[in-house]
Amino acid sequence: MRLVDYLHKNAGLYPEKTAAICGEETITWKELSEKVIDRASSFRKGQVVPFRSSQSIDFLITYFAIHQAGAVAAPLEKDIPENRFREIYDILSSSQVPEGTADILYTTGTTGKSKGVIISHRTIIADAENLIEGQGFSHDLLFIISGPLNHIGSLSKIFPVTMQGATLYILEGMKDLDKFFEALDYPAEKNATFFVPATIRMLLMFSGERLSKYADKIDFIESGAAPLAHSDMLRLCEVLPKTRLYNTYASTETGIIATYNFNDGECIPGCLGKPMSHSRIIITPEGKISCQGDTLMSGYVNDPALTASILKDDTIYTSDIGELDEKGRLHLKGRETDVINVGGFKVSPSEVEDAAMSFPGVKDCICIGIPHPITGMGLKLIVALEDGSFLDKQGLARHLKGKLETFKVPLLYQQADSIKRTYNGKLDRKFYNSQNI
Amino acid sequence: MKERIREILEDALPLVDLDSDFLFKELDSLGVATILLKLSEEYSIKLDAKDATPKNLKSLDSLEAMVKSKLEK
Repeated sequence: MRLVDYLHKNAGLYPEKTAAICGEETITWKELSEKVIDRASSFRKGQVVPFRSSQSIDFLITYFAIHQAGAVAAPLEKDIPENRFREIYDILSSSQVPEGTADILYTTGTTGKSKGVIISHRTIIADAENLIEGQGFSHDLLFIISGPLNHIGSLSKIFPVTMQGATLYILEGMKDLDKFFEALDYPAEKNATFFVPATIRMLLMFSGERLSKYADKIDFIESGAAPLAHSDMLRLCEVLPKTRLYNTYASTETGIIATYNFNDGECIPGCLGKPMSHSRIIITPEGKISCQGDTLMSGYVNDPALTASILKDDTIYTSDIGELDEKGRLHLKGRETDVINVGGFKVSPSEVEDAAMSFPGVKDCICIGIPHPITGMGLKLIVALEDGSFLDKQGLARHLKGKLETFKVPLLYQQADSIKRTYNGKLDRKFYNSQNI
Repeated sequence: MKERIREILEDALPLVDLDSDFLFKELDSLGVATILLKLSEEYSIKLDAKDATPKNLKSLDSLEAMVKSKLEK
């Protein structure tokens, strides 16, 4: 069965139950099923459909309608620049994807530009079953999604909610925290949500006391996509003593692999729990985490060489360094990659540098990650300018915004006489990272 | 004070048009959190999510008014 088949099953079993809520709009499972069938006629079997994602019920209708038609959904950032959208559209129009492909999700690979990750229907079902078993998604749950629906962290929650016939509450981000508390007030047996660590930091900083009033209603909260500070983990356990609080090991490429409830009295930093039922973890002799099981991607679109570099013999070799303890729990020890994780969104510094080099007056530059009080890591661009030029910080930021998704635009800028390179001419990332400037 | 607020926010949020007719609309959740954080640090005031209303975050003038009212308390 595909996920969309569960949707129609829900329409038969619980036709009047609310499937999703977004602002003033609600939709039942029966209505969703009918709208999906109706919209499916806009797509044809095998077609790859890139579309800008939105935080809306309409997103759900489009996403499921594409699957219903036997087509492939490629949801993209809602603010993706038009030229980048066109570029992806052209690539996908001429791409062959394997039989059984459900989605193509764009993420930043280990090098260079964003890569299209091929996700099968089988992967979606395995992710759903992993989450139901690992975290207890149930039929009477109201799951609040505030993150972008094209990102695996939020998209993957549609899977178990649909499989269980539960209810989704979609929010347009967490800018207005009152809206999040309105979602918690919505009549429901119990709530759950997924937050990137930056959002947990924000909630604890500005609304910790208010959150504690919902201690009996919040069944569980999952975090992932970036490391959660131990102080935030401890504080969250204090604020929500009865809630299951999960740290999850997952990525677009590997799917949902392992999860750990850190509200267990031990609250172990870096612990990501045991592999879930569809997943296996092997630590390579070099200490890197590799994953097996049905949640793995099928490959990268149009890039067999890059696919082969991480996916071999049904195993994904990540650049994460980890250990398994005597109880079989995974512990993350670090990452061996240039990719910078900004509040759960991966950024390849070279993509930012390439975009910055086309700004008038920029002679050389390097993009580095620096500690940020909310997102954990933030981006800083150090720029060397041509003689006679001055650093127009806002102009440069806006230039980057025209070429890149917003989360890839650095917040901090610094002028330097020159950028340090290694003896063979490569940017000396190690030097700048060790300076942490 | 308004110019100091501008200086701080220009530095922290280079993509945001601080002279917009409706500043709140220009911001995302990180932008809102950054404003609360930077202003509470600079002026040693306590700001929480309830202060992050569209009215308070409408313009540099309304931000200045919010900071002044907190300082008076």
